[in-house]
Amino acid sequence: MSMRLPKQPGEWINRNKPVKFTYEGNTYLGFEGDIISSALWANNEQVLGRSFKYHRPRGVLSLANHDVNAMMTDGVDTNMRADVVEVRNGMQLTAVNTDGGVRKDKNSYIDKISKLLPVGFYYKAFHTPRSLFPFWENIIRKAAGLGVVNFHYPRILKRKLNTHCDLLVVGAGPSGLTAAIVAAHNGLEVTLVDENQQVGGSLTYDRAGSGEAATQLQELQTLLAKYPNITVISGAYAGGYYADHLIPIVGADGITKVRAKAVIVASGVFEQPPVFRYNDLPGVMLGSAAQRLIHRYSVKPFENGVVVTANSHGYRVALDLLQAGCKVAAIIDMRAAGEDSELAESVARKGVPVRKGCCVYEALSAPGNLGVRGVVVCAYNETTSEADAANVTTIECDGVAMSAGWAPAGALLYQAGTSMRYDEGVHQFVPARLPVGVFAAGKVNGVFDLEARMMDGARAVSDVLRHLGKQAPQIDVAPHSEASPSHPYPIVPHPAGKNFVDFDEDLQVKDFVNAAKEGFDNIELMKRFTTVGMGPSQGKHSNMNAIRILAKIRGLPVDRIGTTTARPFFHPTPIGHLGGRGFHPHRLTSIHGWHEAAGAVFVEGGAWLRPAYYDKPGVDKRDIVQDEAMAVRLSAGIIDAGTLGKIEVCGPDASQFLERFYTGSFASQKVGETRFALLLDESGVVVDDGVAARLEDEKFYVSTNTSNAAAVYREMQRWLQQWQLSVGLVNVTGSMGAMNLAGPNARDILAKLTPLDLSEKGFPSGHVRETKVAGVAARILRVGFVAELAYEIHVPAAEARHVWEAIIEAGKEDGLRPFGTDAQRLLRLEMGNHLVSHDTDGLTNPYEIGSDWAIKMGKPFFVGQRSLKIIARKPVTKRLVPFVLDEGYNGEMPQECNLVIDDANQIRGRATSVAFSRSVGRVIGFAYVDPDTATAGSVFRIRTDGGAMVNATVAKTPFIKTHKGN
Amino acid sequence: MEPLTRVTPVAYAQQRLSPKMTVLNGMEVAIEFASAEIENKRKSTLGICDVSCFPRFGVKGLNAVQWLKEHKVEIPPQGNAWVQHKPDTLVLRLGLNEFLVEDQLNGKACEALHAANQPKAYGIYKVQRNDTALILSGSRVQALFSEVCALDLRDQALAPDAVVMTQMAGISVTLLRQQLNGETVYRLWCDGTYGPYIWDTLLEIAEELGGGAVGVSCHFKEML
Repeated sequence: MSMRLPKQPGEWINRNKPVKFTYEGNTYLGFEGDIISSALWANNEQVLGRSFKYHRPRGVLSLANHDVNAMMTDGVDTNMRADVVEVRNGMQLTAVNTDGGVRKDKNSYIDKISKLLPVGFYYKAFHTPRSLFPFWENIIRKAAGLGVVNFHYPRILKRKLNTHCDLLVVGAGPSGLTAAIVAAHNGLEVTLVDENQQVGGSLTYDRAGSGEAATQLQELQTLLAKYPNITVISGAYAGGYYADHLIPIVGADGITKVRAKAVIVASGVFEQPPVFRYNDLPGVMLGSAAQRLIHRYSVKPFENGVVVTANSHGYRVALDLLQAGCKVAAIIDMRAAGEDSELAESVARKGVPVRKGCCVYEALSAPGNLGVRGVVVCAYNETTSEADAANVTTIECDGVAMSAGWAPAGALLYQAGTSMRYDEGVHQFVPARLPVGVFAAGKVNGVFDLEARMMDGARAVSDVLRHLGKQAPQIDVAPHSEASPSHPYPIVPHPAGKNFVDFDEDLQVKDFVNAAKEGFDNIELMKRFTTVGMGPSQGKHSNMNAIRILAKIRGLPVDRIGTTTARPFFHPTPIGHLGGRGFHPHRLTSIHGWHEAAGAVFVEGGAWLRPAYYDKPGVDKRDIVQDEAMAVRLSAGIIDAGTLGKIEVCGPDASQFLERFYTGSFASQKVGETRFALLLDESGVVVDDGVAARLEDEKFYVSTNTSNAAAVYREMQRWLQQWQLSVGLVNVTGSMGAMNLAGPNARDILAKLTPLDLSEKGFPSGHVRETKVAGVAARILRVGFVAELAYEIHVPAAEARHVWEAIIEAGKEDGLRPFGTDAQRLLRLEMGNHLVSHDTDGLTNPYEIGSDWAIKMGKPFFVGQRSLKIIARKPVTKRLVPFVLDEGYNGEMPQECNLVIDDANQIRGRATSVAFSRSVGRVIGFAYVDPDTATAGSVFRIRTDGGAMVNATVAKTPFIKTHKGN
Repeated sequence: MEPLTRVTPVAYAQQRLSPKMTVLNGMEVAIEFASAEIENKRKSTLGICDVSCFPRFGVKGLNAVQWLKEHKVEIPPQGNAWVQHKPDTLVLRLGLNEFLVEDQLNGKACEALHAANQPKAYGIYKVQRNDTALILSGSRVQALFSEVCALDLRDQALAPDAVVMTQMAGISVTLLRQQLNGETVYRLWCDGTYGPYIWDTLLEIAEELGGGAVGVSCHFKEML
């Protein structure tokens, strides 16, 4: 039997485009524009999923993006919300979280043993013995979650865009539409966003059996279309509020980050279910869900239903049901006074019986809990919130529409820092104090009457205009004066339970009572213990009732209970959306193409891609690295050092600046000399080291570690601001290339390309020269970082490849080969040079790494000096020492970060660098050890990953033999 | 010795496109990636052109303003602004006391500034540059900006003389809008070492939007 209605005014489906799909193996027909739930409901398929915990059958609840029990997979994607995802031709859908199908879910037995699984069960049951936890964990992990993640999910680009506007209006209901139109009329550039596929909000479904709302919507849409300065983004939700009115709008195709000068939140309200036993059966749905089925998708919610209500809206729902051809067996009004408006008269005229002061005590389930066969009704005492279960009547029906109240969709307001208060007039949290530039309008603002909501939209625009410094009329909107749209406590106790508060987590009223008894009687604690609001709907249909229950338990007004924290994102957002295109900036030196052609295998070093080594087919990587290092030891090697930070420090106070910035002495440095430059932070921690070359009296050329260039330059600028010295800083990291030519043949090779006197006397170690190399202006530094004889050649980046290729060509006959960072690390280790950030960490001071010699404490000031004075008065607790393993050691290789363990099995330090050196013939490294074992010849133990204890002996550096002046 | 030909910072990224190359201002640069018809279509939709070969001169320091004035260089009256100096030179004031001077195809100002003796007076520091410099053109350029930049770069938000220093696709760039041959184009500069990255990133998006790479000759017909 089809539940599809004849064409409804303003329906969202396209009857000219049928859609064929399968669900749980059965084939169905729907229409383009149908969501999965409406298409199935039209085919009289009401079991749309199973609940998370008890595996109870569930159908439509809200049809507003909160039907977390109606989640589907189509074989590729999973956890698709059937109440918002449009059905497409060829979809092959199954419900998630079932074993054996949605109707015959084998896990439905859990519902029968639910008494054994109260909240807190997991916390308590599997706590001890600890040894059994892995066993339980395995079971729990299998039971947890909903759909199964598809690890072959295709990467589909979801763009992240930035847009800007004067005004962002969140929510395109009557208030939001009015606000957008009025703002556009006043010349503002407006972005209007709504999570529904079409604008209109409640006008698209809440019609009370009349065509008035549809007409009003048409008028608003006509006006909307007149303004080109309104951008409408539909089918997308405002995901969160960030500083300066940045709001990400999440749509199917990606995220639009909107930056607005002002924001109007007209996001409306979420309908809240009254709580009674079996309020979760398929066929029991919110009144607004029934209206959405009727007016958006032209689907009859049920044939013969009951409306349980506690506000006017229930009567509007009843009229819509009647207009759709449904029989309304009764309206059960929880309010003793019932409804006192024209709506009640309209309903009465149509012969619908109304039971005032009554509640649905429980819904009666069809076999297998797969539907509704009736409701049990009894009197309800609003004062005590008790049902008179002694006198009940049963009404046969196949569906129930529930309308007991609303909760504000106020997540954005909360995130923006809005102070909210509980308004007893509407029994809802409403804004009390809004942040600057943020405004609220409509139901979220506690305004419910349709005309008043539109007026409130216009009023918010006036506020916005004034905020933007424009003239605007004062508009006053009268506060709500009718009966409250929300019931203060729409909760019916039942001794047998199953009166659900949270449909995500199958939480019943008793779960909250028990939580409070156990001491979790603060709303945040109760949330954690019961997990209310922690499911996929994030409490949109449950938090308000949870607050009401807790307020009643504690005997406090709702205002005193408060709300839980609302954090972005407001709605579950796919990781792919958050990732977007995925920008991964990387820097390449101008020699990169040559490296690639030479077989380089690249490694990331900060933002740079650097050759780790140059691959050779058939040769093991470890051998390649050793070969590259041996070339430097025996003939010559060259490494691209263009990644080094390079900063020019110029001006009359240049040396004074370096004196203050680094630990060493630079005032006495002669032109043509280089000096080690050790940088500390203000707490005395080593943060960088490099070389300062004095090119002129007033010009230094300073290098930094590859990954520290930006940070060092930033620090230089910061200190320069404070010191106000006459210095100019020029960061030439990107505009200067560099390469390090090292090894015994380096001098001969370089001599072929430069007119410079390279003799030891003409160009000794620790000096810098400006000359030409291969016809290119170059700065050459004698730096012995990887080898005793090495030339760091700096040239303009655009000419670096030319110089590199010239050197490679010149070195052909001298055994020159390029080497990568792997060999570089080994070579500097052999030389006994530690690496900042590799052999040091965020707490290392210079005394611990033996850099006392680089600190000139006699200077009046340098960054970190004051801290060092304090540190120097305390004993050193660890020292970085060079070590070797025993000759011929062939056990498990210690790894960097393996711990140094003493005889009492206590941690005394850690290894920071470990490598086998073919030159030395042994495993060498650096490790932090107890100062007592820091002298050469001392032995300490390193514990390997496998648990082996390896003896290491403190050595002297350099590990290799050097011949000064070679 | 033959004059050295420099390499554009984006050379590595461009090589897969096998463009037709030429040497301009001592730098090898892509003159054409496709037929004129295709490139013109790209240019009008979203064209990306590498003009890193244009001569540049950078200077900073407290006396930079004075020094440039002495060398008859017109300078913007305030920071983060630019002016056209003579017909073929752009002068960007990057901050209060930092400048980037760039000659266009026929400009000669940079050559003169490079040749000028830098006085030993304090407060004038030459800034060596190795920019990746691009021309972005076409009707979809704002769509591109929307994806790579958080700033509002639309006409109504970007003053005609504004120099914007911001982040695009995660890296620092300098940007301005100018008229070139009667068309509105955007100029973008970034550190040359990010050149291949920014080229690949912008080109990927440009191609998705119906644009693509164009050679220097697409904007400067005289190069053909």
